[in-house]
Formats: sequence, structure tokens, C-alpha cells
Amino acid sequence: MATHKGRGVSAIEYPTGMNQNGDPSQAWIKIKPDGRVDVFAGTSDIGNGSKTIQSQIVADALGVPYDWITYDNSNTDSSPLCTGTFASRATFVAGMAAKKAAESARTKLLEIAGKLLEIDPADLDVVDGEVIPKGAPQKKISVADVAGAATWVYGELITGTGAQLKPYAAIVDNETGRVDLPPHSAISYAACAAEVEVDDETGHVTVTHLWQCFDVGHALNPTLVEGQIEGGAMQGLGLSVLENCYPYYPSVEHRGGQFGSYLAPGMEDLPQIDTIIIENPSADGPYGAKGIGEMANNPQPPAITAAVYDAIGVWITELPITPERVLRALEAKAKPRREGKVVIFDEELSLAKFAHADVAVKFDVHA
Amino acid sequence: MKAVGARLPRYDGIAHVTGRSTYVDDVRIPGTLWVKALRSPHHNAAITKLDTSPAEKLKGVHAVVTAADVPLLVYGHLSALGIPGDEPLLADGEVRYQGQPIAVVAAESEELAMAAVEAIRIEYEERPALFDIRKAFDPDAPVIHEWGNWYPHFEGELDRRQIRKGDIEWAFDKADTIVQGVYRPAAIEHVPLETQVCQVVPEADGRLTIYSCTQALYFSLGVVCAHLQLPLNKVKVVGGTVGGGFGGKVDTATETMCALLAQKSGRPVKWRWTREEEFLCSSTRAPWHMEIADAVTKDGWILGRKMLTLHDSGAYARFSPYGLTKHSFHHAGAYTIPNIHFDGYVVFTNRVPTTAMRGFGVTSVSFAVETHLSRIAVELGIDPFELRLKNANRIGDTTPNGVVLTDPSTVPTIQAIADAIGHELTAEYRTTTRDTRSGAFLPDHLVSQLGNPEEH
Repeated sequence: MATHKGRGVSAIEYPTGMNQNGDPSQAWIKIKPDGRVDVFAGTSDIGNGSKTIQSQIVADALGVPYDWITYDNSNTDSSPLCTGTFASRATFVAGMAAKKAAESARTKLLEIAGKLLEIDPADLDVVDGEVIPKGAPQKKISVADVAGAATWVYGELITGTGAQLKPYAAIVDNETGRVDLPPHSAISYAACAAEVEVDDETGHVTVTHLWQCFDVGHALNPTLVEGQIEGGAMQGLGLSVLENCYPYYPSVEHRGGQFGSYLAPGMEDLPQIDTIIIENPSADGPYGAKGIGEMANNPQPPAITAAVYDAIGVWITELPITPERVLRALEAKAKPRREGKVVIFDEELSLAKFAHADVAVKFDVHA
Repeated sequence: MKAVGARLPRYDGIAHVTGRSTYVDDVRIPGTLWVKALRSPHHNAAITKLDTSPAEKLKGVHAVVTAADVPLLVYGHLSALGIPGDEPLLADGEVRYQGQPIAVVAAESEELAMAAVEAIRIEYEERPALFDIRKAFDPDAPVIHEWGNWYPHFEGELDRRQIRKGDIEWAFDKADTIVQGVYRPAAIEHVPLETQVCQVVPEADGRLTIYSCTQALYFSLGVVCAHLQLPLNKVKVVGGTVGGGFGGKVDTATETMCALLAQKSGRPVKWRWTREEEFLCSSTRAPWHMEIADAVTKDGWILGRKMLTLHDSGAYARFSPYGLTKHSFHHAGAYTIPNIHFDGYVVFTNRVPTTAMRGFGVTSVSFAVETHLSRIAVELGIDPFELRLKNANRIGDTTPNGVVLTDPSTVPTIQAIADAIGHELTAEYRTTTRDTRSGAFLPDHLVSQLGNPEEH
């Protein structure tokens, strides 16, 4: 009876935006008579922080303070279309629509400011809520004054619209799967190391430490991106050692229907998490961002599986790695079958073991 | 001050942690009726009798809706991507999974709605069910789906997603070792704190206002309007603040049925799933079965990969063909493998349909290919970091489906992790970069796959 420590590593990649694209997002902006900004977009915030991120993007793209921004994603009457919050697309795709809307509102704002100041709009800049003539900063006026003039002097409404769409990238070849265009908006990358302790008497696996490095393109809000990475780590931990809808899969018996009978990770499972962010800006995301929301729960399961092998010398490739599976694997101490230069692991799980000899689908390395 | 890059607090964080955010369940509308569903107790059965009249006659029951009430019963949620529909909004003559909705009722209390569900007369003729995707291809397996046991409509005509690249036979002949393994991640539940919940108000002008926990306001708008055969201006979806989704709330699980009940009863209706319904009747992350054989050289180059994937779709296709395609595009992981032979199938079983969940299609493949790489490292006696750094994709490398990579970061992320845990790399691997392959990192077998990133 002993506790065994082990470490494992993984490296992953993940696409931003819907696979094969064709997923538009749109946004529009109006500016109130005192320069305050209302953003309308159809992007649900599922806890990923899209309200915050899009507000930050609009603030900088317009050149006004963040707390001037009101973000409204509350309904489909006032907000334009967003395909949805999935596919790690809310920052990259919907954020780009918000940025374009802000840029178009800025153009309109500068047009009014140009009239007011009698200066070519091309010679004006917007910084921290002030319109500043290049080379003549003493002539600056506030965005509030410009918006007021638009309303009360010129009879205009300052608005902006933006839309982002990468057209649908069709598969061009059924035989090879080759595509004619990149089927994603960007790709993000991550690596992870896991450290575990395995109790060989109870079979319990404790994940003690996760080190994770993500290339996020550009961290538009480091606090939120760390939240995604650390929250994702807990979901990845759940996938690895706890969660299973069908404890005796493929049987459907004994499904857990309550929190007491389905093991979701909780604070008591939290390992030490070290997060490293690196930034290789994407060429066409808003301010160089990529999308890493989903991939945050992808690198842990293989790193933890390898760490369990490192600890106790058995590969458990059916998830989750429950105490029962650990104890059974320790008992079986299965070795791969060797046939010439072929090393065959997990034969007892394979399709060949379960299917008739004449099935329509086969997996044969010699075929 | 720049907002981008700043550690600003969450826009709605204070409201969330002080209980002042308005979620769907917090919306109070006078005169609201409560919704409950009659769900299948069987995994696979024909419905031989369905009589809702005893429920309709109960005092306080205002509407019962079945398949017969739905203007467009079967709507393919991904029809825009060429994926046809197979799933009826409410079961029509047969049920294919336990928990499948057959009828929904709206009544003056949750208890009365439940009593009405129990009053519905229904009879079934049970059929053999299929649960093991490894047995779905057997000649004597029960055929459980109108299209057969696996999805036959990839690109309109293929019964699998297929990727082929290079010369797989050459790779397997040339290999010093072939490592083969099987990987099976489990179905898991999304576990949102907010269960599926919806309210629908029939407005005086004939429009419907739908309070929804959807992750995709416009997607849900489109799905409801398609089933009800309404133009988009007749429905207003209200939402945008979601109590946890993780993919499960892309499903439009409640909105359409509630809209039909609101139309039929002329009253606001509300459906709030119990935790048990959320666990047992909502969609899950799919279970997967993946077999990989990699052809490797003794010094750790991956010459080729054969892979077979079976994706447990549950009773209907829902988003699974999309998920499998995404899976297939990423089955080489963060590495450059010049010779590829991939076949993937979406297999039907008599379980709750599986759906999108964080990492859809790729979480599974990342688990399989990364665990497989760790095994190869042990088998060959090579440092697992160095095996990865060697094969890691570089700028200009091409993916299995022919995309030229412009900014892969596999090399720097692995190096950062090695550094963080104090794992010493040899000089060659410490100094290699993500730049275009050359020298020792451009062996003969990778020369022909190099592409020009400017092309994309």
C-alpha cells in the first residue's frame, strides 16, 4: 500500500470560429447627446465575459473611457444577429463586429467634430473621450461636446454598424477531405503538465498540480482569460477522473440524476494551477486576440492519463480514471500484444473484439 | 487609459455575485401557466396509442401539445450546412430514447401540470435497443434510425468523414514500429447551475416574447420560427445572460414547445426543468471510440497515422455530423503528419442525443492523440517533450486537409511548460523555434508537405 506520484505532459491546438466558417456576427452603436455609448449585439454572455470584452474593444476603438460604454445583448428586436456563443468565437468573431461598429461610429463622430472645429476629420484623433487635432492639441474638444452638437446643432445621430463574416469554406474533395479555404478564423495552442498522486490501495487519483501555457494571441483582459483557463482546467479534471453520465457505458443503467450521484468537480478537487500566457497576436482577430474558451478543458485529460501511467505503470484509456478502473488495471497489469513491429494496446476494447468478422467498418493497420 | 489589455472587472460580476442579475427564472409575469412534459420511459418503442383528452379535461389545464400541433415537426438545425433534419420536436409514433418528450401540458401549477401528464393515456410496443456503438455495424444489430445505424449524409452522400493524405502504405512499410491503441472518453453532463428554463408570453399584437437561457439568441429565434412557420418579426427572444451553458444551451430544448403552448392557451407559460430532468433528459457530451495506429521511426518521427473514430450521437443527429467533421480536421493534433488515413462515423444509439460541449469534437481527439503520443514516447524510450517538439507543427506546415499553418505556437508552449516544471531539454530542443522547418527538423519525409503560408 503506497501513494505513487507521476507527471504527464500534453500539447494541443484548437480552432477559433465555427468549423468551415459561415458564422456571422453583427453589432451596432449609437452615441447619446453627452457622448456616452450604447452597444447592441446579439452575443449571449454564458460566463465567458463577452459583455466585458466587447465593451473594452468598443472603448478603445472609439477612444472613450470604458465606463462610458453600455452593452445591451438582451433581445433580438434591438440587437442584430450573432450566430451564438460557441466555437470559441465570441471574442474573435463577435468582438470583431463590435470593433468595426466602433470604427464606423468614430468616423461619423470625427465628421461632426470636423464641421465643428473646421478641421479635416483626417487630422483629428480621439483619445480618452476627447477629440484632439493633430499638431494643435490646445484646440481639443470633448466627445460629449461633439455628440451634443450632433444632436442639437446639426440634427444628426452618431451611429456605427459592423459585421464580421468569413464565408463558408466548403469541402472540395470527398475523397481526401481537402478544403479550399482555411476552415477556421484562427488556431490557438496550449501545452500542459499534470502531477498526480495515485493510491494503489483505494485506486484514488488526486490531481495535485497543473501547469498550463496558452497562446491567447493577445490577452484583451488577462483576468478573464486566466478565469477561462483555470475554470477549463477544473472541467478537464472532471473529464479525467470524475465525471460520467453512464458509469457502466455502454449500458444506460445507473445514470446519476442528482448532484449526489454525479461527480462534478468541486473546490475540494482544486489542484495548484500555474498559468502561463504567451502572446503571438493573430493576424486578423480584434487587437490580435484568439479564442481559447473551449480548448481550456482539452489538455488536462491526456496529461493526467500520462501522469497516472508515470505513477503506477498502467495505461487507462477509458475515461474517467475512477478508483475502480485503477484497481482493475493494477490487477490486470495488461501488456500490449507484439506482432512483428506492431505494438497493440487495448485490444480488449477494440472494435474488432466486439464486432462480427463481417462488419461494414473495420480498423486494420495491415489493410 | 487603454481598456484592451487591462484587468477590468467583469461587466456583470457585481450583479451576479449579489444575486441581482435577472435570469429567466427571475422574470415574474402574472397569470403564468406551468409546463411539464410526458417523456418516454422506454429506450426504443412504437407508440401504439396516445390519448390526451383525459389531461385536457382536467380543471386548470389550459393546453396540451403533441406532434400533431407542430406546423413543421422535423427541422434540421444545421440545414444551412447541408445536414438534414431527423429529430421531431415531439415524438411522432415512436420514441428512440428514454426521456424523449411526447407531449407537453400547460396548467395552473406545476403539480397540476404533472397530474395532467400522468392522465395522458399512452401505450407502447417496446423494440430492441442499441447502446454499444461497436455493435452498430453488425449485420444482426437492430436498425434503430430511419437512416440506418450511422449518419449517411456527409457532403450529401458519404456515410463517413474521410481524410486521406500522402502515401499511408509507404509510411506503414517504412516504419520501425507501429503503435496501436484505443481511446474512450465518457459522456458527461454540462452541469449548468441554471437548468433549462423558458417563459413565453403571447403579446396582444400577436407576437411571442420568449425569455430564453439560450447561448445563441438568433439561432433559437430561427429554430422557433422554422417550427412555427413564422417570419422573424413575429418572435422576440429575450436573454443574453446565461447561468452556465457549456454547449448544452445551443439546443433550443424548451423554447419551441413553450411557444406552441402559449399560442394554444393564449396565456404566458413557463417551463423550468428539474435538476433530475437536466441530468437525465438534457443532451450530454458524446462518448467517443477512437482507434489509432501510428507509424513511427525509432528516433521518433511520426510517418503516418491511421485512425478510426466512432462518435456516439445518441438517438438523433443534432450537431454530431458537424462535431465529427471538426474532429476529423484536427486528428493530427498539434503535429505534422504527412501520411494520413482517417475514417469517422456518427453512430446512432438509443440514448439521449449528444450535443455540443466545450471543445466540441476536439476534446476527444486531443485526449486520444496526446495519450497515444505519450505511449509512443514510452515505447521508443524518447523524452515525451522532445518527441512532441520534434513533430510539432511549424510555420508553413500543412494540416491533413491541406491548410497551411501561419502561426502555430506548439513549440513555444511546450518549451514554456518544460521550463515551468524544471524539465531540462537538450540544446537542440531548447533552441528550436516555430519558424519554417529546416536542418534536423526538416527530414526528407516532411519536405514535400511544406506549403507557402502566403497562399492562405
